[in-house]
Amino acid sequence: MDPYDVEGGAINVRFLEADSVRGKFLIQNFDLATANSLRRVMLSEVPTMAIDVVEVQNNTSVLADEFICHRLGLIPLNSKNVDDVLYSRDCECDGYCDQCSVILTLDAKCTGDEVMKVYARDLVVSEGRPNDEVGTPVITDPDGLGSVIVKLRKGQAVKMKCIAKKGIAKEHAKWAPSAAIGFEYDPNNKLRHLDYWYEEDAKKEWPIDEENSNIDGLPQDGEPFDFDAVPNRFFFDVETVGGLEPDQIVLQGIKVLQQKLASVIQELTGAEDTNMDGFGGGQSPQMNGGQGYGAPDPGYTTPYGNASVWGGAGGATPFGATPYGGSGNPW
Amino acid sequence: MNAPDRFELFILGDDEKKVEWKDETRIPNTATFIFNKEDHTLGNLLSVRLHKYDYVTFSAYRVPHPLFAKFEMRVSTDGTVTPKDAIVRACRDVVQDLEILSRSFTTEWLGKRIVHEGEEERLRREREV
Ligand SMILES: [Zn+2]
Repeated sequence: MDPYDVEGGAINVRFLEADSVRGKFLIQNFDLATANSLRRVMLSEVPTMAIDVVEVQNNTSVLADEFICHRLGLIPLNSKNVDDVLYSRDCECDGYCDQCSVILTLDAKCTGDEVMKVYARDLVVSEGRPNDEVGTPVITDPDGLGSVIVKLRKGQAVKMKCIAKKGIAKEHAKWAPSAAIGFEYDPNNKLRHLDYWYEEDAKKEWPIDEENSNIDGLPQDGEPFDFDAVPNRFFFDVETVGGLEPDQIVLQGIKVLQQKLASVIQELTGAEDTNMDGFGGGQSPQMNGGQGYGAPDPGYTTPYGNASVWGGAGGATPFGATPYGGSGNPW
Repeated sequence: MNAPDRFELFILGDDEKKVEWKDETRIPNTATFIFNKEDHTLGNLLSVRLHKYDYVTFSAYRVPHPLFAKFEMRVSTDGTVTPKDAIVRACRDVVQDLEILSRSFTTEWLGKRIVHEGEEERLRREREV
C-alpha cells in the first residue's frame, strides 16, 4: 500500500511543512477540478482587509499623493476574523463606519537632518473596530518596523487618514491573502499530461521537485501506461502575505467555495418555488425571470448563512417534486 | 473613465439571478444554464464533476465573452434525473467533499504545528546548553 495514503480511499490531507507563513501539504483521493477550484478561490476570493480610501491632509514628500495611496493599499493588514467586518457596500452606513471599516492615521514629519523613513508601524489604528485584531498592520521583521511607506527629508511631512475595508482579490490584488500558491500533481508525469520538449534527454534537461517526486512514487522501468489513470494526489504550497495564517487561507477558501455552491443550490431549488407559485405549477420553467417572490439576498454575502441550503434538511424543495423536464416534454 | 467597476465581476446586478436556465427544445433531457457573476472556478468544477454520474450523458461549459462575468453550461441526462437536479446533486456532493477535506486539513494542521513548535523549542534549548 501507498505509505503516504494510510486512509485508503478517503479524502485526506498530509502536511510536509507548517509554520506561521507557509503551509505545504498534499490532498489525497481528491479530484483535479475541485483542487483547482480551491486554488483559484484561495488566490482571488478569500476576503481580507486593505486600505481602500485615503484622505490626504498633507503631503510635502517627494512622492505624489496617489503614489503613496497605492503603497498604503498594498500594506498587509491583519485579517483574522474578518467575518466580523461587513462589506461597505452591504452596510447601512453612508461611506464607512465602525461595522465595515478600520481607520488608520499616518502623521509623520521629519525634523532631523537625516532622511527619515516612514514605516507601516507608524500607522495608528483608531478605536472602534469590528474586533481587536482586524486592520492592524502586519509587522513580522525583528525590528518591528513593517513595510516602508515613504522617505522624508527635513521639513517634509505626510498626514493621511486611511480607511481600510474588507474586499477580495478579484476586485484588487491588494486584497489577496496569499503571496503565492504552489500547485502540482503527478510530478513524475506518469499520466503524460505533459509533453516535455528536450534536446537530447528530457530527464537530464528538466528539473524535478525531488521531494514531491519521491512521495508520488517513481515510475518503474517498463511500467505499462495506464490509460484510465486520473490524478488524485495534489501538492499545495500556500504562503501568506501576513494577514491570515496559512491554514486560515485554506479553510476560508474551502468555505468560500462551499458558499458559492450553496448559492447555486439555493437558486436551483429555491427558484423552483418561484415557478410553482408564480407561473401556475407544472410548466417547464422558461428563462426564470421570476423575481419578487422572497427575492434572495441581493448581495453575495449570505448564501452559506442560510443553514438549510446545503445541510440537506430544511426549506429546500425535495428532488423531483416538480415535473421539470417531465410533463412538458414530448419525448 | 468608462472602465466598468471591478465589483461587477462578482456582485449580481439589480434584477440579476445567480442562475438562469431554459430547456433545450430540440434535444431531450437537456437544458442550458447561465451562471451570472461566475467564472471557470465554478464552470469547470461543475461541468467536470457532472461527468462522474452515469445519468449525465453530456456536460460542458463556455465563457461566451471574456469581458462579461458569466458562463453557460449545457447538461444532458438519460432522463432518470433532470439536468437541474443533476447540478444540484453535483453541488451537494462537492460541498460534502470539501467538508471532509476541511476536517482532515484542520486536524493535520494542528498536529503538524505542534510537532513544528516542539522541534523549535528543542533547538532553542540545545542552543542554550
Ligand atoms: Zn458601514
